[in-house]
Amino acid sequence: MWFSTPRLLVGLYGLSLAAVGSSAADVDFMSVRPTVAKEYSGKGGEPGPKYFKESDFHYHYDGRFADKPLSEDETVPHLSELIRTYLSTMEDLGAETWIMHGTLLAWWWNQKIFPWDNDLDVQISEPTIHFLADYYNMTEHHFEIPGVEGGRTYLLEINPNYVIRSTDDKLNVIDARWIDTSSGLFIDITAVRKDDERRERGDPGALMCKDGHRFDETEIFPLRNSYFEDVSVKIPFEYVRLLKKEYGSKSMTATTFQGHHFNDVTEVWDKQRKRQFWRRQPVDVPVRTTPLGPLLR
Amino acid sequence: MASTHQYHHDTESLDYSSDGSDDVPFLPNAINPSRRVKRYTRPLIEYVRNEWQSNTKYSGSSPDRSEIPGWVQMVMSIITAPRFRRYAIIYTTLFISCLLGWEFVLSPRLKEHSELTKSLDPNSKEKVGGWYGTNALPSFEGVIQLKNLDPSLLPAREAPGPGKDSSRRLIVVGDVHGCRIELERLLDEVTFNNKTDHLIFTGDLISKGPDSPGVVDLARKYSASCVRGNHEDRVLLVRQELAEVDAMTDTSGDEFMDGLSTSGAQKDLKLARKLTDEQAEWLDACPVILNVGHIPTMGQVAVVHGGLVPGVDYDKQDPFSVMNMLTIDLDTHLPSSSRDGKKWTKFFNAHQSVAYKSTKHADSQATDTQATTVIYGHDSKSSLSIKTYTKGLDSSCVKGGKLTAFVITDGGEQQVIQVRCDNYLGE
Repeated sequence: MWFSTPRLLVGLYGLSLAAVGSSAADVDFMSVRPTVAKEYSGKGGEPGPKYFKESDFHYHYDGRFADKPLSEDETVPHLSELIRTYLSTMEDLGAETWIMHGTLLAWWWNQKIFPWDNDLDVQISEPTIHFLADYYNMTEHHFEIPGVEGGRTYLLEINPNYVIRSTDDKLNVIDARWIDTSSGLFIDITAVRKDDERRERGDPGALMCKDGHRFDETEIFPLRNSYFEDVSVKIPFEYVRLLKKEYGSKSMTATTFQGHHFNDVTEVWDKQRKRQFWRRQPVDVPVRTTPLGPLLR
Repeated sequence: MASTHQYHHDTESLDYSSDGSDDVPFLPNAINPSRRVKRYTRPLIEYVRNEWQSNTKYSGSSPDRSEIPGWVQMVMSIITAPRFRRYAIIYTTLFISCLLGWEFVLSPRLKEHSELTKSLDPNSKEKVGGWYGTNALPSFEGVIQLKNLDPSLLPAREAPGPGKDSSRRLIVVGDVHGCRIELERLLDEVTFNNKTDHLIFTGDLISKGPDSPGVVDLARKYSASCVRGNHEDRVLLVRQELAEVDAMTDTSGDEFMDGLSTSGAQKDLKLARKLTDEQAEWLDACPVILNVGHIPTMGQVAVVHGGLVPGVDYDKQDPFSVMNMLTIDLDTHLPSSSRDGKKWTKFFNAHQSVAYKSTKHADSQATDTQATTVIYGHDSKSSLSIKTYTKGLDSSCVKGGKLTAFVITDGGEQQVIQVRCDNYLGE
């Protein structure tokens, strides 16, 4: 079956896909769409056990590929390559994908990843997740990256519970991951599905994700072509409305966030060095080195 | 002293007479008030000569009366007096109308004014952490943010002399939505002359109505200017996608395309295929913002589909918002495509009048050049909406309303001309 265990796959390294150019020669969405793209409805099955696990050291690292988080300086460059390789792979496969949530907000500000971020959110449509599961689950994609010796290998892993179409499947809200095997960082990929319940109630464009987010087709489609981290990316049609709905108006206007300040000249989020005077300075607390006497213990 | 006294009685007597008490025969005496005053110096009741005073039958209530304290009697007599009642009605009505006027007109106006003033106060910017327009504007493939109108198309600065026609005119037309026949009628109505007049469309030329390609062809024929409306935006994006997947004529893959469940999306897809390459290219060349330039009496004029946020440069105005805005968040100045909130035009006009008030009287020339006037469409619910700095031209032609032309002639003279439209939506 296509959802073999990931550990086994790491062993099958040589068998998987490799290199950027090669994927274009393989199956793309357009050529096989009649076999995958059809109407999906119903629950699809009972909720399953949790498939994607987070590492014990950080919720946004895949524990199979790392045992510690990256340093702050290394994180953003890794994430940048992560999204660039993902977007270019999906483009090669003809698989439509677009950014959402925090990544869309970061795009709004300066089309770059937030310096404090350690996750990325992208969405795909339901036919696309079926296509990726049928043809590209557990494929490895090797990229040569300037300044990175030996390049990096990325793994596309589909959650086998993607066939379950209900928000009751609470442990499997993420449908797929694009994983940087060098660092354990990954992108959460969620499929946007037709919302049967709301459509029955007379809402023809109703969409939903297993993570509980609800959309309308007119909010997302037709997608716009823009740029993120200097590569082309698709953006939901009503991006301002979606961002306002999810994060409120201030998220698109307030220039101070997560200890960073948006510099309107350089258009970059600068880390705030000095703390605001009204906030209490963190004090270096003296640490005892000699053990306490036995009486006190 | 004597004269005031006399006057007092005079009015009193006049009042009695107007009460129409016919058993007091002094009406003719009103002609000679001085004589009457001499005769009636005591309460009129005492002049009654019938048995009313003597007969006990009529004084039966007097013992009861004495039990009621004097002041209550007085109050009662005041309240029961017809004059009091009349005034009471008048004053109550007056009071209620004042109250309603305050509650529903004056108080909301004052509140709105203070809200707008507060939201324009630079100090409140710090409080909310920033205003709309600071982010690095994302660029969209194939979308032109800003174009400047060729200055040679502008009307002359000076108004034409008496009896003379304007040398040049700008004719700005609201949302046409494929109503080609109405557009032709409107051009007849304004006696459009391609040599001296320049046509500008506020976006949404296409969709909904009967002949979208025909409207685009007409606009192209007259080398009109236009801006990108939300409907052009959708249809052009669908077309872009069709080109990407090579499905411009091939409909076999439609069932695999995303986002086509709604009837609106189906119509957009149909129209995207119906447009020729030339028509689509012409529409794609329409910028989000058209900077018309300076027009006397209007200042800097910009044409957009939805609206603009004041105080934000044209190249910092988010394109989706420019094409879709209806309201604005007063705290953050973030525009919204939904109807709940403060109308952006209110905010825009308030901003302009605050910003240029100081110079208004001192130097009207300075106001002229600095202030911005926005001509827009999109808001068919508000219909024609001509304010000082905002001119809304969407009068819902396609729904059987009117098609509006805003004509600007030499010297910045403005005129609104409308034609009636058929209802193509059958709503």
